[in-house]
Amino acid sequence: MKGKHHILIETESLRYEFDVRRNITVLQGESATGKTTLIDILAEYSKKGRGGGIRVQSDVPCFVFNGSADRWMYELGGMSGGVIFIDEDYRFIQSNEFAEYLAHSDNYYVLVTRKPLYNLPYSINEIYGIRTSGKYHFPEKIYHEFYPIYGDNYGNISDEKRILLLIEDKEAGYDFFKDMVGDGRCMSAEGNAGIYPRIIEIGSSEDILLIADGAAFGSYVDKVVHLRQLRGHIAIYFPESFEWMVLKSGIIKGRDILNMLESPEEYIDSKEYMSWERFFTALLIELTKDDPIKRYSKSGITDFYRGQNAEKILGVMPEEIRRLI
Amino acid sequence: MLTVHFGELDEMQYGPSWFKYNYKPEWLKDPFVQEMIKGVDNSEYVDGLVINSPVFGPIPPERLSGGLKTLIMIYKRTDLIFDATSCGQNCAVWLKEIGRRVDVKVCLEYLMDFAEPLEIMIDNENRIVRSEKDFMYTAMKYI
Repeated sequence: MKGKHHILIETESLRYEFDVRRNITVLQGESATGKTTLIDILAEYSKKGRGGGIRVQSDVPCFVFNGSADRWMYELGGMSGGVIFIDEDYRFIQSNEFAEYLAHSDNYYVLVTRKPLYNLPYSINEIYGIRTSGKYHFPEKIYHEFYPIYGDNYGNISDEKRILLLIEDKEAGYDFFKDMVGDGRCMSAEGNAGIYPRIIEIGSSEDILLIADGAAFGSYVDKVVHLRQLRGHIAIYFPESFEWMVLKSGIIKGRDILNMLESPEEYIDSKEYMSWERFFTALLIELTKDDPIKRYSKSGITDFYRGQNAEKILGVMPEEIRRLI
Repeated sequence: MLTVHFGELDEMQYGPSWFKYNYKPEWLKDPFVQEMIKGVDNSEYVDGLVINSPVFGPIPPERLSGGLKTLIMIYKRTDLIFDATSCGQNCAVWLKEIGRRVDVKVCLEYLMDFAEPLEIMIDNENRIVRSEKDFMYTAMKYI
């Protein structure tokens, strides 16, 4: 499935309104904000339809998974081209099997869970809480909306001190930043799971700028944010991916690139790409494959991505981060 | 004392489901349960099986939030180990208070913040932590 889908769910006393635009949306936050009520209302709607006092407005079907945990794969198989809501009591969403299933699914999923789902590459931008407006006094109508839990808070560190770059990537992205600042100031975490142990290893003496692919960092972001609160001296930058930075910099030309960067959800099919960073990698490889100078490979960068072009790539970063490098 | 196990245990129970099918009406008469109903769900216990919710109006106990149902189960069934992951951050203060009143053990699978003063036994390491920092660094090793 592709696209951004606006969903409105309404009874006479409650209204939920939100957009989903990637294959995985995670819903979490405090107790008593209305997460389970949202699922319950949708489940009721799926049983009774329009006659049940619930109005659902969406351009794609909304399903609630409330079947048998042992037969989830079989039951999900009957749902296609829609948004599937799964409440927190289903443990299968943590399994490898679910991750493999989701990689080729043409549904979007809204998962209610506080647990980090390390098997799933979900975006830091698609983790939401629910907030409420209205008088909050029965029988006045209560309005619920989703709000992103992790915004653009880069952290507050001084640019006067020498900073260590910790790069989640171990290949082209790491190569690029190592080139910019030199070996001694750049370290690869060799994947998302390596970030926490690397920061502990580094100790508290260094200021750290962590750069990771925001498109797939959702399960790790809470740990990093907590670590930043505890330790201090950590700035974070989560672009969609390094390849997204290259495309955004304008050094590679191609048809529709600007539109793809503006509204990736209109181009990225969930059945083909489990997360957006995989799409941007495939796109960059495709756009440069016939040009021996620009040819991009995940395994390392060529001279084309150095010098002036490197400055353009860095120019994609917000100024607060750019000045630290 | 509150004992926390980071991660799952085989005997771990799911609070909302336990509450729905096993709660005892007299639990709602307990002043501490009524405090938690007010503190987490911003609702008032009325009488019998009636709770007044600012969102839904009069509701039965089955419609309390999942986090509150889990807190009540943790407090009332200390012989069982519940998954406190069903409890949001706004339940942390109540979990601590339950631990001050009774000995309970819970599982936790996300990074819940506990403000000081605190005294929590970490089941995975068999030691007591007394600072937010110690609790969080320990949690991050397992979650």
